[in-house]
Order: sequence, then structure tokens, then C-alpha cells
Amino acid sequence: MAGQEQVIQEDSRGQEIWNNVKPYVLALLIAFGISGVIIGLLGYNIPKAYQTLILTSFSSRRGIIETLKKFIPLTFATYAFAIPFRIKFFNIGGWGQMLFGGTITAVVGIGLSGFNIPSVIFIPILILTAMVAGAAFAFLAGFLKAYYNINPIISTIMLNFIAFYFVNFVATTNPWKAPQTGHPMTLKLPEAALFPKVFGQIHLGIIVVLIAIIAVYYLMNKTVLGYEIKATGYNPDASSVYGIKMKKTLIFTFLIAGAMGGLGGGIEVMGVHSRLIEGFALTSGAQYGIFGILTALICQGKPLGVPLSAMFISILLVGADAMQRTLQVPVELVFLTQAIIVLLIVVLRRQAGGGYIE
Amino acid sequence: MGQLTEILTQIVSYTSVYALASLGIVIGGRTGVFNISGEGIMLASASAGFIAAYQTGNWFMGFLVGALMGALFGLILIYIHEKLKISQFILGITLVILGTGLSDLLYKTIVGVQLFAPEAPPVPDIRIPGISQIPIISAFLNQDIVVYFAYIAVFAAYYIFYHTRLGLETRAIGEDPKAADVVGINVKLRRYVTTIIGGSLMGLAGAYLPLVVTGTYTTNISNGRGFMAIGIAIFASWRPERALLGAFIFAAIEVFSFQQQLGNSLIPYQFLLMLPFISVLLIMWIFRKRVEFPAALGKPYSRE
Repeated sequence: MAGQEQVIQEDSRGQEIWNNVKPYVLALLIAFGISGVIIGLLGYNIPKAYQTLILTSFSSRRGIIETLKKFIPLTFATYAFAIPFRIKFFNIGGWGQMLFGGTITAVVGIGLSGFNIPSVIFIPILILTAMVAGAAFAFLAGFLKAYYNINPIISTIMLNFIAFYFVNFVATTNPWKAPQTGHPMTLKLPEAALFPKVFGQIHLGIIVVLIAIIAVYYLMNKTVLGYEIKATGYNPDASSVYGIKMKKTLIFTFLIAGAMGGLGGGIEVMGVHSRLIEGFALTSGAQYGIFGILTALICQGKPLGVPLSAMFISILLVGADAMQRTLQVPVELVFLTQAIIVLLIVVLRRQAGGGYIE
Repeated sequence: MGQLTEILTQIVSYTSVYALASLGIVIGGRTGVFNISGEGIMLASASAGFIAAYQTGNWFMGFLVGALMGALFGLILIYIHEKLKISQFILGITLVILGTGLSDLLYKTIVGVQLFAPEAPPVPDIRIPGISQIPIISAFLNQDIVVYFAYIAVFAAYYIFYHTRLGLETRAIGEDPKAADVVGINVKLRRYVTTIIGGSLMGLAGAYLPLVVTGTYTTNISNGRGFMAIGIAIFASWRPERALLGAFIFAAIEVFSFQQQLGNSLIPYQFLLMLPFISVLLIMWIFRKRVEFPAALGKPYSRE
């Protein structure tokens, strides 16, 4: 009898795991089916396209490095959306926070270039600068919501556009702009401000992102603030009864989100471009901010789900670039496919009893 | 005087973009459906509408296809929301991304990269004899068909919502869907209808950009106007006639920003380009206390 019970339990456990995984599997199959039809209709070789899309990341050392190089900013962009999303607020401004963080990093980095600061001090200063700049930028939206009830969806989107033109301003204006270039960009940051390469070829950002993943996990699961964020997310009314101040929690989530976004932008400046360059927070034809939203929706913004989803999207982004390069399949096709995947995951997980309600 | 009329003509033309897009949001909002996907709809409709007009050589087809694309997005939003009660905001933001991806994909695969940017068939102005010669006034009445349509749509929405039983019932859904259901109003049907009509108005606004404003399709042609329309709808407290006023204000700010860039302005041009977006924040802040929302806005409704 006991044995039988065990079997039934294991069966239902297997069933439970399958129920959790099923929406993802189905979403992928349907979305890839749709994009396969489009690829076929456009006259491309379907098996070759899929092989390129999915396997480029794993096929070479360069593929792995390219994937990690997208994974780093994408993870930060995802946290920027995911953390306020835990309390049901939408920070669409991850991109703007990246732009602003990157811009201020470049301004401070160039400004301090005459002081011969050693790397061990310079890099932490700039990391902090990026985080503070991003947090300050996101604070505007959190503050406007908390005290003036202005919808963060609108305010963060408006701030994205403001940040975009601010990048262009810094990159085309003295004393920052690089002389004689067509594309808007600033002077190079001093050597001591740039990220060294670790593990052979990937920049220091990979260490920073790993620390960030651990820090966010710790913050959300082991601290009072994390507990308050979760409690507010589950039930805003009840948590206010227990003395958790909604306004404080709201502003804190935006500060953390902004710090993450800003850091992601700063890392792109210090680790990839060595300068501020217009379009530095774009990839595969769209903003990291947009991919960050898609990534966060896949895992419902759960702290440990973020790196997993970000890795998945990064693999597709590297594959998308390779498909465009070698097969001339437009990157927008993969972008569209990702949007369809996420829409399907949202729908199918909801059908299976998951969240996404308010 | 002539120059003023010219600037005003441009402002009125831009007003129709903002008015149609925000009216689309207002109409859906009146039954409690907050469709924030305007930017995605406008991009997808701009692309699809331009391609249709370019391929057929008929501008009317462009507007038609643009509106249909918008209607399709509205249908997707309301269908998934009604079936599964998934957050309108999550669906909206996903649709924004979907529309953004779709716009360039359609254009790249159907039209492709060409040496000279392909141009849309010109949309004729409709001149009203006599009046079209008077300065200032002619700016309002010397326009293309979509501008006239926008006037009519705003007036019709205002009239229906505030002077007919149909409108009163529909507004009741946005305030209290359960009460509306109790008195026998078909909540579900009206939510479908308003969301689809709203989507098609946003689509029309999107198609207007390549067909009239620029004459050709470019990546990200909408450049945030779909989002600014949300700001206008909020500023308007979801009233059609106030949305028209808001649309005119933002059109004027946008045209002012262009004019300043052409002249020798002391302000760096990037800050002029920021101006419309800063204005949205400022106006929302200034009018924060006068804004009223339909009480059930953004909330799912089911009978349980």
C-alpha cells in the first residue's frame, strides 16, 4: 500500500513538473513553427536557419563570448523591469536608465582622465557612478508615482526618449565629443577606467553581473526590504496594514531597478565600447530595454529566473545576428518571434493557472 | 500672416495624429479597457499602410489597411484579456514589442532596401470653396481627408458618449461593469467593439505618418507619439473633446520644436527634441489633480 502511494506521489510530482514546463515547450514549438513558416515563405532554408539561430552560441569559442557579451547588459536590463514588476509596477525605463548610467559614466570617466587614478580605484568609482546615475534617473519615475500618482509606464517611457537625446547631446558636444567622426561618440575613456579581460576574452562585466545576480537574490530573499517587496507584491492592501509603507517600497524598487539599469549601461561603456557611442545599448535591431521586458515576462521577474531567461534570449540574439550575417534573414524576424514566444508563454502559463493577472 | 497660417496648417495636420491615437485610447478606456499598445499599433499600421498604398498606388488602401491592422491588434488584446483576464498592461506592452518587430520586418521583406526611398501616392487636400482663402481659418479647412475624419470622429464620440443612451450605457461599463451587466448591458460585446474601434483609430493615426506627414516609411516612424497619446488621454480625463485639445497642444509643441531647430536657437537641438517628452511629464504633473479615470479602467471583469 505504502509503495503504491509513493508511486502515485511520484507520478503527480512528474505531472507537476510537466505542468510547469509545458507552457514553455508549447510556446517555443508554436513560435518556432510560425517563424519557420515565415522563413520558408521568404525562401530561406529552414533547417539551416534554425541551426544558425539555435547553435551559433555553442558552435565556437567566439559564439560563447558573444552570448555572454549580450547576457551581461540583458541581465541588468531585465532586473530593471523585473524588480518593480514584483510589486506590479512597470518600469519601461530600463533602457533610459542604461543610457543615462552609461552617459554619466563616460562624462565622469573623461572628466577624471587627468588625475592618473589607478584602475583599482577608478573602476569602482565608475561602477558606483553608473549605479547612482541610473538610480537617480529611475527615482524620478518612482517619485512621480509615489507623490503625484503619475503612471510610471508613461513617465519611464518619456524618460527613455529624454535619455536618448541626452546621449546624443553629450556625444556631439565639446568637451566630450570625439573629433572628426561621423557617428556621434565621445572621446575614449582613460585606459585605467576600462574593464580588463578576464577568463581569456570576456570583460570584467561577467564578474560584475555574477555579483549582481547573487546580490539581487540575497536582497529579495534574505533582507527585510526584500520581504517587504514580496509582501507588497502579493497583497498591497494587507501589507500596508502591517506597516509596510507603499511609497517607500515603491521608491526603493525603482532605485534598485535604476541602479541595475545604470550599471548595465556603464558596463557597456567601460567593457565594450571604451567610450559613449550613440546606439550603445542596442542589439539585434532593438533596445536592450525591450529585450529586458520580454526576458522578465518569461520568468515573471523571479530573481533566479532572470539569468536563465536572459541566457535563453541571449542565445537567440546571437543566433539572430548570425542568421542575418550569413543567410540574410532580417533580425526583426527573430525579434518578432521572441515577442510571440513571450505572448504565448504569458497566455499558456495563465491557462495553466499561473499569474500575469494584474 | 501667411507664415502663421502655414505653421498652423502643419499643427492641425499633426493634431489629427495625436487626436486619433488618443481618441482610440479614450474610447476603449470608457469600457474599462486600457490599451497602452498604441505605439506598437502605430508602427505596424504605418508599415502595413504604407506598403498597401505603395503597392496599389492608392492612398485610400493605405489608410484602410492601417486601420485594419489596428483593429486586429485591438482584437488580439481584448480576446486574450476577456478569455484569460491577463493584465491589460502586460498584454499591451507585449503588443508594443510585437508591433515594433512587425513594422520593420514587413517593410524589409516586402519593400526591401532601395536606393531611393519609395514614396507613397500623395493624399489630396480637400478645399472648401471660399473658406480656403481666408488666413488662419484655412489652416483648419484646407486639409486632407483624415483631418476631417478626425474632427468628425471626435465630435461623434463626444456626441455618442454624452448625448445618447448608448453612450451613457457604454460609459457605465467603464465605471462599474457589474452594475452595467445587472441592468442588461452586454459588457463583453461592448468591450470588444470599443477596443477594436479604438485600435483601428490608432492604426489610422499610424498610417497617416508615412502617407501624409513624411511621405515615406522609416524605422521607428512613430517615435513615441503612440505613448504620448496615452499622456493625452490621461490629461483629457478620457473625454474626447479634451483629447482633441490635448492633441492640439502636443502638435503645437512638436511643430514649435521643429521650427526652433530650423532657426538659430541658443538651446542645443537635442533639448528641443526632448521638449515634447518633457512636456508630457510637465502637463501630467500640472493637471494631476484634475485628472479623473473611469473607475474600472484596466480591470478585468467576470461575472463571478
